[in-house]
Amino acid sequence: MSILHTINKTPSSKLLESCLEVASDEDSLLFLEDGIYYARTEFKSIGCASKLTCYALKEDLLARGVKLEASAEIEIVDYNGFVKLCEKSDKVINWF
Amino acid sequence: MAKETQTFTILARTPPYGSNRSSLLLDIALTSSIFEHNTNYVFMGDGVFQLLKGQDADQIKSKTLGKALKALSLYGIDNIFIQESSLEERSIAQEDLILEAKILNQNELKALIKGSDSVISL
Repeated sequence: MSILHTINKTPSSKLLESCLEVASDEDSLLFLEDGIYYARTEFKSIGCASKLTCYALKEDLLARGVKLEASAEIEIVDYNGFVKLCEKSDKVINWF
Repeated sequence: MAKETQTFTILARTPPYGSNRSSLLLDIALTSSIFEHNTNYVFMGDGVFQLLKGQDADQIKSKTLGKALKALSLYGIDNIFIQESSLEERSIAQEDLILEAKILNQNELKALIKGSDSVISL
């Protein structure tokens, strides 16, 4: 059983903290819309905590001018990748 | 009696594309300039993300706000300010921004608000 968590608000929403309280290690986390600002600096300071696999949506990064080097911590996916993530997860929890 | 020229301060506090607040504020600012108000435009909190370089909202089928903000000076709105702590909290340097703005500390921002006849915060 794995869950895809999505976050669509900036770090000032503190949504990641709420998400991490209930997420398990085998879950995935996707940052999209304003959530992609998490993929900048704050993300690293939180260390994406747990062992979640983290993704950020390419189109939202480009729209907002947020440059992100591909890293081990966070993978960039496009809309097709988003669909695949939904498919392989048993359920999706939207944090907003 | 109201003064002839009013000082009008706009506080932009939201990121550029998650809602329409950022573009509504820009419309308000451009309208205020027609009435020859003295308009201040302040970016604070997540609003500083509106100024990041390299935005391309075509990707999400939207209008690029960063480009539109460059029009502020064309409308005579040159008093553009950024809250210092908002940049620091987000590790944003002045070189990362699309336009030049005066950096305000907490006390300067308070003084600016105090000296304004009206303030709109979105």
